[in-house]
This record gives sequence, C-alpha cells and structure tokens, in this order.
Amino acid sequence: MKVLAAGVVPLLLVLHWKHGAGSPLPITPDNATCATRHPCQSNVMDQIRNQLVQLNSSANALFVLYYTAQGEPFPSNLDKLCRPDVTDFPPFHANGTEKARLVELYRIVAYLGASLGNITRDQKVLNPNARSLHCKLNSTSDTMRGLLSNVLCHLCSKYHVANVDVAYGPDTSNKDAFQKKKLGCQLLGKYKQVIKVVAQAF
Amino acid sequence: MAVFAVFQTTFLLALLSWRTYQSEALSEPLPLTPESLKVSINSTQQCLHLQWSVHSLAYHQELKMVFQIEISRFNTSNVIWVENYSTTVKWKQVLHWNWESELPLECATHFVRIRSMVDNARIPEPRSWSSWSSWEEVDERNSLGHGALFVFPKDKLVEEGSSVTICSISRSYQNNVSCLLEGVQMRGEQLDPNVSAFHLNNVPFIRETGTNIFCTTGRGDGTGTVLFVSKVLEEPRDFSCETPDFKTLHCTWDPGSDTGLPKRQPSQSYTLFESFSGKKILCEHKNWCNWQVAQDSQEMYNFTLTTENYLRKRGVNILFNLTHRVRPMTPFNVVFKNISDTNATMTWQVHSIGNYSTLFCQIELHGEGKVIQQHNVSIKVNGNYLLSELEPDTQYMAQVRCGDANHFWKWSEWIGKNFSTLEAAPSEAPDVWRNVKSEPGYQTVTLFWKPLSKSHANEKILFYNVVIENLDEPSKLQLHSIPAPANGTKLTLDQCSYQIHVTANNSVGTSPASVIVVSGDTGNKVEEERVNVTEDGFSMSWKPQPGDVTGYVVEWCDHPRDLPCDLQWEKLGPNTTSTVISSDAFIPGVRYNFRIYGISTKRIAYLLEQKTGYSQELAPSDNPQVVMSNLTSHSFTLSWKDYSTESQPGFIRGYHVYLKSKEGECHPGFEKAILPDDSVSCKYKIYNPEQKTFVVENLQPESFYEFFVTPYTSVGEGPLDAFTKVTTPDEHSHLLIRIILPTVFCVLLIMIICYLNSQWMKEKCYPDIPDPYKSSVLSLIKSKENPRLTIMSVKDCIPDAIEVINKPEGSKIQFLGSRNSLTDTEITQPAYLYLLPTEKNSSGPGPCICFENFTYNQAASNSGCCGHVPVPPEAPSQLGLLTSPENLLKVLENNYMNSLGEIPAGETTLNYVSQLVLPLSRDKDSLQTDPPVPALCSEYKMQMAIPLGLASPPPNEKSSVSSVTLLDQGEPHH
Repeated sequence: MKVLAAGVVPLLLVLHWKHGAGSPLPITPDNATCATRHPCQSNVMDQIRNQLVQLNSSANALFVLYYTAQGEPFPSNLDKLCRPDVTDFPPFHANGTEKARLVELYRIVAYLGASLGNITRDQKVLNPNARSLHCKLNSTSDTMRGLLSNVLCHLCSKYHVANVDVAYGPDTSNKDAFQKKKLGCQLLGKYKQVIKVVAQAF
Repeated sequence: MAVFAVFQTTFLLALLSWRTYQSEALSEPLPLTPESLKVSINSTQQCLHLQWSVHSLAYHQELKMVFQIEISRFNTSNVIWVENYSTTVKWKQVLHWNWESELPLECATHFVRIRSMVDNARIPEPRSWSSWSSWEEVDERNSLGHGALFVFPKDKLVEEGSSVTICSISRSYQNNVSCLLEGVQMRGEQLDPNVSAFHLNNVPFIRETGTNIFCTTGRGDGTGTVLFVSKVLEEPRDFSCETPDFKTLHCTWDPGSDTGLPKRQPSQSYTLFESFSGKKILCEHKNWCNWQVAQDSQEMYNFTLTTENYLRKRGVNILFNLTHRVRPMTPFNVVFKNISDTNATMTWQVHSIGNYSTLFCQIELHGEGKVIQQHNVSIKVNGNYLLSELEPDTQYMAQVRCGDANHFWKWSEWIGKNFSTLEAAPSEAPDVWRNVKSEPGYQTVTLFWKPLSKSHANEKILFYNVVIENLDEPSKLQLHSIPAPANGTKLTLDQCSYQIHVTANNSVGTSPASVIVVSGDTGNKVEEERVNVTEDGFSMSWKPQPGDVTGYVVEWCDHPRDLPCDLQWEKLGPNTTSTVISSDAFIPGVRYNFRIYGISTKRIAYLLEQKTGYSQELAPSDNPQVVMSNLTSHSFTLSWKDYSTESQPGFIRGYHVYLKSKEGECHPGFEKAILPDDSVSCKYKIYNPEQKTFVVENLQPESFYEFFVTPYTSVGEGPLDAFTKVTTPDEHSHLLIRIILPTVFCVLLIMIICYLNSQWMKEKCYPDIPDPYKSSVLSLIKSKENPRLTIMSVKDCIPDAIEVINKPEGSKIQFLGSRNSLTDTEITQPAYLYLLPTEKNSSGPGPCICFENFTYNQAASNSGCCGHVPVPPEAPSQLGLLTSPENLLKVLENNYMNSLGEIPAGETTLNYVSQLVLPLSRDKDSLQTDPPVPALCSEYKMQMAIPLGLASPPPNEKSSVSSVTLLDQGEPHH
C-alpha cells in the first residue's frame, strides 16, 4: 500500500490537481467554462508535435534497454513476454478530428504516465543498479508530463475541454517480480508501437 | 443447618478429589480429541499452518500430549507426511504447528487430519490414540484467478546450492509445460494432469536481481517466476578481541561473503553476546565491534559472535583472559634529539595500560629503503633510545612499536619519523692512481681518482685539491683545485721526482690525502704473459717482491679499444700476491692487458708483470689478405705478413690452409676436411701464429687449384671466405720461353741490322736507276753538240706482238672527262692512257698498259705508272703505282687525256708476248717500220701496248685502234 502511495497516487495527484482527480473524468460540456492558470503558449501545438517526435525517437531504445536489463529469457522471448497485448490501452484514431485526436492523446499519455510510474518504481526494486534504465524511464516520464500539460492546455484553450475521463493500467504493486517485469515489457512494447502512430498523426 | 452445610461442602470436595484421584490413578484413557482444526497456507514460507485446541481439558489442567498429524496431497489416501508433535497442553490453549512443503502449496490440494494421545508417565502403557479429526482440505488453486498458466513459488528466496521445486499449473489438459532456467530446460515431472513439478538441485547464484524461470505451454505467451538466490551465509572467521587500555574490547572477524540481495534480503547481521555478563550487542559493522569492559574487574570473557540472515544463522565462540589480550595503542610524540653526524637519540611516549604494566618496544632504523638497525627496549611510559653508528649527512627513518611485556599478544601499529644526520668532512682519502708517459725532457702524468662513497664523502664533494711537491726541490709546491665531479687531471712535469697529494673537499672540510710519487724513471720492461680466466674473472698472481713493498696495484682498461680507455685499478695489500679482476665492462673477444705494479715504501710504483687475456675468446672475425707469389707448375707461395695477431678476438694459435684440386686428392701434409658449406677440401695446419707464409707444393702442371687461408683460435677458425683460384702453368712453357725469347731477340736484332744495312744492300743488289736526263753524260753530249747522239727512251721500246682477246662482257671503265670516244681523241690527241682497275679487281694484281704518245711529256713520264718504271710480266705489286690518285690527278690536270668514253671492260685483253728493246740509235720514225728485234732490254723492261691496228683488225667500232682495252681481273689470262 505504501508502494502504491509512493508510485501511482502522487503521479495522479500531480496530473490532476483538482477536485475529482483519480476518478474517470468526463469531457467537459461545450458550454462549460474552462480556465487555465496560465495562458497557453502560441506554439503549444508545435510543442506537442516536438514532444511526440522526441518520445517516438526514444521509445525503441527504452524498450531495448528495458528487456535487456531484465535478463534472460526476456531478450530471446520477446514474442511471448513482451507482446504488446495491453487490453485496456486507450484507443487512438488517426483520422479523427483534431479535438478527438487530442482527447485520445490525452487519455493515452495519462495511461502511459501512470504505467511508466509503476515501471519505474518496480525497476528500482528489481534492478536497483540499472542506472541507465532508471534515467531513461525518468526522462520519458518527464516528457510525458510536459506533453500531458500541453495537451490539456490546448484542449482547454482551443476546445474548452477542461476534463477528460481517463483510465489507468493495472497496479503492479501486488504482482510478483516476474509479472512486474513482463507487464512492464508489454507496456513498453505497446508504447513503442502507439507513439509512432500518434506522432505521425500530429 | 450451618453444620450441615459445612459437612455437605466437605463431602462434595472430598468426592471431587476422589474422582480426580480416581481418574489419574486408574489410568483410563481420557477422550482428549483435538478439535477446531484449522489449516491455512503461508505462501511466502510455503508452510501449512495448523491450529487446534483440546476442549476436554479440565480447568487449569496441564497435560503432556502427543499429536499425530497426517498430511495427504491431491487426495486423502496419498499421505505424504506423518509427524508426532509432543507438547504440554493447557486448558483452552490453541495449539499451532507448521509444516514446510517442498512442493509449492499452490500447486496441489492438501488434506490434514490430527489425533492425540496423552503422554503422561503416570498413565501406564498401553496408551491409546484418540480418534482422527476429520480431513481438512486446503486448495489455493481456486483462488488463482484467470490465466492459462501459473508458476510457483513466487519470488522465493533460497541459498546458493540448495534444492528448489518449481511447479506449474496449466488450465488446459493438453498443454505440455516446459520451463527454462536462464535458457536451460529443466527436467519436469507430471504430478497431476494440470500440475507439473520441476526439481532444481544446486541452485546457482547468477545475479543479485534474481534468476528468471520461464515456463511456457508452447501456445500463447508464457509466464514465470523469479528465484532470488543469495550467497550462503558463512561462519565468521578469525574472530578475536583485544584491548588497548582495559577499557574497551575491540573484536574483529572476517565476515566472508555478503549474502544481501537488494530489496530482498539485507546483508547478514552480527550480534555479540558475552555469556558471563549476559550482555548482548548488535554490531553496526560487518567485521568489527567494540565492547565496553565492565568496571567490575571481570577478567574472563566468553564471547559468541552470531551472524544471521533470512535463511540461516551461524555463530562462533571465543573464551579469553582480558590481560592476555592487550595490544597497546600506537606510540606517539616521536622526537629525535641530539642529532650529530653519527648519532641521534629517539624519544617517544606510549599510552598507559595500567599502573604496573611494562611495555616492550621495538625500534627499527631504515636507510635507503631497508632495515639497517633493529633494537628492543622495555619502557613504562616514556621511551628513548640512542641510535649510533650512523652515517653523516644521511637521511634515516626510525619507527617504533610496542607490546605488552607481561603477556605479549600483538604489537601496536608502527609510528615512524624521518631524520638526517649532520654533515662531516670526507672521512677517507680518495683512491688515486696515475698513468705516466715519459717524453724527451718531460713527463705527462695523468691522475685518476675514484669518487668517494657516500659513507665516506659525508656530504657532496665540491672539489679535489692536487698538491704537487718537487722532491728534488722541496720548496716548490703547486696546487691545483679540480672541481667535482671530475675524476682526474693531467699534469705535465719535468723529469724530476714528484710527490702528489690528492684530497677531496666538501663544505665541512678536507679528507685525508692520498699520496703517490712519480719519478722520471721510465721503469723496466717485462715480458707479457697470458692470464688465466675463471668464471669469476681474470685470475692473476705475481711473485712476492723482496724488500719493503707497501702494496700492489693491478691496472687495466675497461675499454681498451677506446680512447680514453677507461683506466681501472685495484689496490691490494702488501701480503696479497693474487687477485681476481672482474668487471661488468668485460666483453668477450676483447683482449685486456693487465699491469701489476708494486708500491715501494717511497710510494713509487714500479711495473712487476704484464698479463694479457680474454674474458672469453672468440673465433677470428676476419681472414688475412693472402698474397700468392712464385707460381710455378708445381708450387706457389702464400703469404699474409700484414695480418696482425694482436687485435684478434682470441689468441691466434695458427692457420689453416685449405686447398682444393680437381683430383680431390690431398697432398702430403694436408688432410681432408669438410667445410661449413659441406664441401670437401684439403687442410693444412700451421701451428705457429707467426708463420705467415706457406709454400704449396707437389702441384700438377696446368692444373686448377683453389686455396683459402684462415686463422684459428681456441674457439675455432675464421669465417669461410671465397677461395682464391689459381692455375699452374705448363711444365715446358718456361723452356719455350727460354728458347723463344732469345730467338726472337736475335731475329729482331738481325732485322734491325738488316734494315740498317738495307741501303747498302740496295746499292749492292738493286741500285737506283739513274735518270738519263739528269745524267752527267748529257752535259758531255751537249758540250760536244752531237745531235745524233741521244739517250734511249723507254718510249722507243715497242713490243713485238700483242694478243688481243675479245671478251664477251666485262666491266666498263668510267673515264673522267668528256663523253668523247676514245677513238676520236686517239687520232687527234695521242696521250698516255692509264688503265684503271675496277673495284672488283682492285685487290688483285693487274698489268699496266700504256700507249705511247710520241710527243713525250716529261711530267707525265715522271708521274704516271707508265713512267720509267719497269713492269715485269708478273708484277701485280706495281698496281699501286698505277692507281695512285695523285698521279692520276696530275695526268688529268695536264690534259693528257681530255675525254674518254666508256669502254666495255673485258672486250679486249692484251697479252704481252714479248718485250723488245729498241736500239738506242733509232728514232721515233723508224719505230713502226722496223720489225722489232727480240733482245734483252738491258736493265729496263718496258711493257707497252701498241695500237690495235698494228696487231689485228678491230672487231667492231668500239674496238678501235686507239681504244683502251681493259683487262678484266676476273677472267683468266691467256
């Protein structure tokens, strides 16, 4: 429970520092008011694109670094242990409207941010000496947080969307070590796959 | 009423006591059946946890009982474990018992039942078991949740080398599960249609983050588990405790391997327990711990060091007397006092270990990185020691350590400090030697000295003083100051005797003087001997000198081939008559010369012996230049007089003369030898190194020989060079020379004489024909004016007959001049015609045919071949005259032949049938009319051609009378 509190919950609190955080967030009705603390920068959409490009360019390296750090049998059984079968992963439709794509992007980034928090926490226990992996995970999480903030700002300023209902991946704190490694590998495989599509869509 | 009540109560109590007694005394089995059995699973420990109670116990009753527990797996009939558990049971007590399963409990249904028996000695045998409790079933498989495959145990912590059983549960019956440990397949066992077990013996330690075990059914993805393997907890080694001050005990040990696993198992802990005091402390460090000594004068200590982790616990024990475990603290305050050039006093202090304790201290003096002095001293609190026999101006390091003198246990740590002794004047005179070269009128003395050792120099040497004292004039002193680090100087002195003092000086003072005397005497010359060489060096000895000798000096050069040769010397005492000279500079193949001098009481050195030798002889490196001389048909002489035997890499012992001949036979004195190139040669040995000539004899004339001369030493001969080739001359050639040369000489002499006398011979044999026009007779005739008298002209000679032979073909002669035909010109302008040979016959002999021009021209007669030159019938040598280009040009210039056409050569040929001499009285008119009279032409024989018309008619136009007929040399004459 302590682990849970130190991992996902603070992340969620940071991401949704307002009333109602932690529960599925409905899209704000069009007539609802949406206010941001600071006005979005004019090039926020460019920033979003750049952040997506950055995440896409580093996703594969993070994936390789991860499964290498887990040791055998992960590097030699990627098809069985790291298959991107994440059933509850938020969908993304590249041919949708910009607003719809931004909303879906928000859900994906929120999902990934929480999952990366779990993976980072687990790897600090399972592979405490894998410094480069920890660094890469932290860097990706930081970029993810910035992206989430920009997407939310853009949704709010342009489309007046203040709240988006999001879903999170399974909590791995009660899983055994092998399951933690496997779920993390699957998630990063999925992340590598999805971020490429998303980056191309923007 | 009250009495009744008391009675009744007493009766009931008595009855109760009786019943109790009855129940114990009668040994009747009590129905104490275990009840309320509950079974649970501790997955982490893989334990079945049982708890039950015995309800039938009386209030506050304690009863020793035995519980028999049966455990079955998969079904109740498959009993896998039976164990009796004895304990004392109290009233209302809940009993607990654990059983650790080898197979993960999640993989199988387990059934447990229990029964009991009173284990009381007052109850006689046989005692009986209670009835079994009902089977309690535990099955975790129902709570596994969704999933196709499960692997247990999860995240199990085991020791390296232990055995582990992994089990898998598959939801499908058809799936064959296989499990891999780091890529290596594990051997499995099917326990149930859904359950497989994999036994893993001697688990290896692979990494701190765990060993992955991966199981798959071959379809879909797989799953696995992580086995956390830790190092085996080792027993602490070298556990010991010691005190520096009777206040604390410092205990140390070697912990061995760290069994910690990050986030899984902390490193093993260490606990120190002292049994006499009953105190226990948890050590903060993994290899040492401090224990506070009690103030109650406890002397004996019994320590138990216990180490443990999640998996194991180990301990070691030591028992000791505190006073026997004293290791003093490191001394302090080390100071050096009263430092002089050779002494220093070292003082130090130690921490007190008791009022009456004595410490035993050890002092070490280090110089140049090694221990040069070691001393022991006993002290109480303050220590001091006088370090003596030190070298001046030297840096030292002195250190001290102490131990308990009463019950020595261990030395304290060293404490040291550097110090330097004071400087001093050089303590020893420099070792001086000299080299004297006497020249007419003066002597050159070169002084050499060796640098003083550090122990003798006592400080850096600044300069050397050389004082020269003329022994013949003691008042004359010269002082030369040579700055260091020079190791010699050169002096030019006259032929007087001199005493030379050499001293070394540093900043403190002057060393004792080294004195040598040189005199103008050049010394005696001694024979040079060869020196023996041993493994240690050159071993030499000399005869002891009669009289007073203060010592001997052996002198040599380390590099005799260089200049300067690096003069070395060794001074020896007066009683020494042998020594072994060795030097790292000695190299094989170099001749070293040693001179042994005796030193007189007047310090004059005189040469005793000279020795020479090689540290190691080598074979000659080159061969002599051999000159061959006196080559005859049977011998020749070889000489190599320029070859020096002194500068060779070994003592030349002689020479080998190799001779090769075609016959391959060796001459007397030669022996067959196989050369390094495997060729066979004849070898002659010359045993005298000074014999540098050799006569090779018994050779065959006109034979080919090869020779080669090489020197040899004790090691071998020189390199194999090319053989020199020589061929002996013919045996009679000299005879021929003796005959032919004089003969040739004589012939030449005769020829010279003949030549010289040729004029005489000419005059005698064939004198010059006098020119009649130049004859003195003419003057006589002119003077007499007799017109009839004339001189016979050769032109008047008419050949009697000419045979003209027509030739069908022949070469044509190209005449220079115009194209007019000869016929034309013959008629109008008679002239001398020159018959020119063709190129074809230029080399061959040919006759000269002239046609008379009755108008005689003196110039022409002198210049042409038709002049007054006799032409014999066979006189081809005269052609040269005819073909003389000068003559021809003269003729042409005088227009004797103005124009001539081409005349086919060979059409006609003239043959002289005879030659006639005209009578001197005839004139020109009568020549054609008078028949010729055959007669000898006196001394003049003139060959002439007559006009063709006189001989025969011309065959054609071209063959006119005046035409020139050419003789083809290629055709035969008739």
